[in-house]
Amino acid sequence: MKRRIASIVMAGIMTLSLFGCGSATPAATTDTGSATTETKTETTTTETKTETTETAAAATDEPITLNMWCIATESDSNRHAYEAAIAEMAEKYPNITLNWEAFENQSYKTKIKAAVSANEMPDIFFTWSCAFLGDFVDAGKVYCLDDVYPEFASELPENMLGNTTYDGKHYGVPTTMNIVGLFANMDLLGEVGYTEVPGTYEEFIACCDALKEKGIIPFGCAGKETWCVTEYLESVIEKSVGADALNDIFLGRDTWNNAEVGAAVDTFQELVNNGYFDPSGIGLTNDEVKNNFIAGKYAFYMNGTWNCADFASNEEFLPKVKVAEFPVINSDKAKLGQLIGGPSDTLAVAASSPNAEVAAKYAMELGKLICHYGYLDGCGLPAWTPYGDTSAVNPLTQTVAEICANADTFVLFGDTAMSADDANTYLSYVDQVYGCQVNGDQFIEGLAKEIR
Amino acid sequence: MSDNKVKNEKKKRKIEEGLAIFVFLLPGLLLFVSILIAPIAVSVYRSMYDWNGFSEGTFIGFDNYIELFTNGSIKFMNSLKNSLILAFFSVFIQLPLALGLALILGRRESRKERAFLSIFFMPVLISTVVIGQLWLKIYNPDYGILNRFLDAVHLSSWKHVWVGDIKTALGSIIVPTVWQYVGYHMLLMYAGVKGVDIDLREAAMLDGATKWQVDRYVVIPIIKPILRVSVIFAVTGSLKTYDLVRILTEGGPFQSTEVPSTLLENMLFLRNRYGMGSTISVMLILLCFAFALLITAAFREKDV
Repeated sequence: MKRRIASIVMAGIMTLSLFGCGSATPAATTDTGSATTETKTETTTTETKTETTETAAAATDEPITLNMWCIATESDSNRHAYEAAIAEMAEKYPNITLNWEAFENQSYKTKIKAAVSANEMPDIFFTWSCAFLGDFVDAGKVYCLDDVYPEFASELPENMLGNTTYDGKHYGVPTTMNIVGLFANMDLLGEVGYTEVPGTYEEFIACCDALKEKGIIPFGCAGKETWCVTEYLESVIEKSVGADALNDIFLGRDTWNNAEVGAAVDTFQELVNNGYFDPSGIGLTNDEVKNNFIAGKYAFYMNGTWNCADFASNEEFLPKVKVAEFPVINSDKAKLGQLIGGPSDTLAVAASSPNAEVAAKYAMELGKLICHYGYLDGCGLPAWTPYGDTSAVNPLTQTVAEICANADTFVLFGDTAMSADDANTYLSYVDQVYGCQVNGDQFIEGLAKEIR
Repeated sequence: MSDNKVKNEKKKRKIEEGLAIFVFLLPGLLLFVSILIAPIAVSVYRSMYDWNGFSEGTFIGFDNYIELFTNGSIKFMNSLKNSLILAFFSVFIQLPLALGLALILGRRESRKERAFLSIFFMPVLISTVVIGQLWLKIYNPDYGILNRFLDAVHLSSWKHVWVGDIKTALGSIIVPTVWQYVGYHMLLMYAGVKGVDIDLREAAMLDGATKWQVDRYVVIPIIKPILRVSVIFAVTGSLKTYDLVRILTEGGPFQSTEVPSTLLENMLFLRNRYGMGSTISVMLILLCFAFALLITAAFREKDV
């Protein structure tokens, strides 16, 4: 049963990389039916392909040391997946020594860019897909994985590589994929008479009003980390103007000067002005807000589905929490199944690595294992075809899997889809929207003018 | 003939002396050039390019400098204003506090004074990251001691999201900055105060001067060079400030607490605009030099 769900999930997420980077993958929407067939075929060939990869990696008998950087710090929900995957790789390939270091998310962005600039990258490095990796690829610093990919093609669907494909060449090994989920504390919702997460926007607003009246803060959002605000704002925009319109804007195919986007931003600001958000949130980090949500301070928390692992590991909190999709605001333009997210977590290999070929094969197999253990831990959905017993996957991740299985379109996170400079201009405006420093019109006009 | 010989020998000796001086200076000169001059030169060179740090850059002349002052989204002028506000508080709050403490502790030497000296200097020894985290906890809107205290004294209406409110965020940075470096400047000034000849103090006292008058008319004029150094350190330190801003507010909310160094980091590592980042670093160097010269000139004028 679990395996079937996983297959359906894979089918759902086939559409993900349709919004590929650069000129690599044309954006389009496929129906999930045909994708399901494709997934099933690939799943059946998994065993054969695993043997092939073992042979390929084992061909290098001489002792080799590889270095890897990632963001799986002690407090990161992916930590266990990395540790388990690396331990399995060490057992399988005793001739390869992997020295790996984990860095905090924000400082890692600085570190890896400095390393790329100085051409001092480790053999294998964690990166975000699309524009982030794209800058490194453009500079010729990333090893092309086209030679090794065919060995893994049956386990890693081609269309999961859209966000790491540039000019038709593959440069990244996706691990997990995630979407933005609406997490709800059902105990608090129960206090105002709700047993399910409201399905329509009108019900949702009525629920927020009821919560407010009861003295419960509806939303927690970390204003100190602007990407957390985008989790809310992008969902509101997507469910107002539709996934295609938002995706076209993110990928630069359309202008920001779109009155409907401006109106959606105003809708988001109404939520802020109505007092649905915790006013303290503007000075808090995401960890603090997440802890407040677990402690029962907020009824809703919109954030990446990687949080499922942390929520599931809290035995006391898990029975209280549910995850759902943000409701549709304008049904003429948007519909359920249009989600924010996609495969972004990626491993890449440095072009400057003296053992680039071995590192590429190693990264491929390591990525598969991280994906496997990450999925079992509930850190996200698998970019690779799931294998083995997945019955232990937590109920929250299973719900996310169902949401993704029914998904129609995925729009990658705005700050990942855009180039670094544009993304930061965008985040600066999002910050101002959350603080009500600019309104919807000023938001779209400012971005239309300032995005380079 | 012999005159010529003597002249030649003198000339030869001078050349040898010059050569010896050059050889002895060479290691220092090389270090100076490689550590200070070369990076500045590279920054100036890079500031003329539109470069993302990885690919080939494009020469754009002074466009980055023009954009720095004309592009509103970069907010360089705002960051400069914040640094100058910080400098103002450093010079007019921090330094007088440090001077007061140095004068009081410098009047006599006992175990008690030395203990106070160590206590006031302690924040300088603590890592700024630790201090930042400490103050973050103090400012926390939910469990922070500041809001709790205001609740306890029935001043709940004064409660704020201190680092998240545009009205209080900069002040939230200024307070720990001033607090942290009071001890540093105090120690500089204390060294100066202790250097004042005891005879001068006693002579003034014999003439009927009070302790305050001794400090005002004897000690402070003597330690003026140290005060000048402290002012230069305080102003240039404020212009270069980074760590506490990064930890407490990360330049927010709405970039209202950005300072040139956080802006520089933002440009270099978040926006991949190495050319613009270099431009900001060049501006910072120029501003630090300019302020150091201005302060030196101001003190010199007063000396006259």
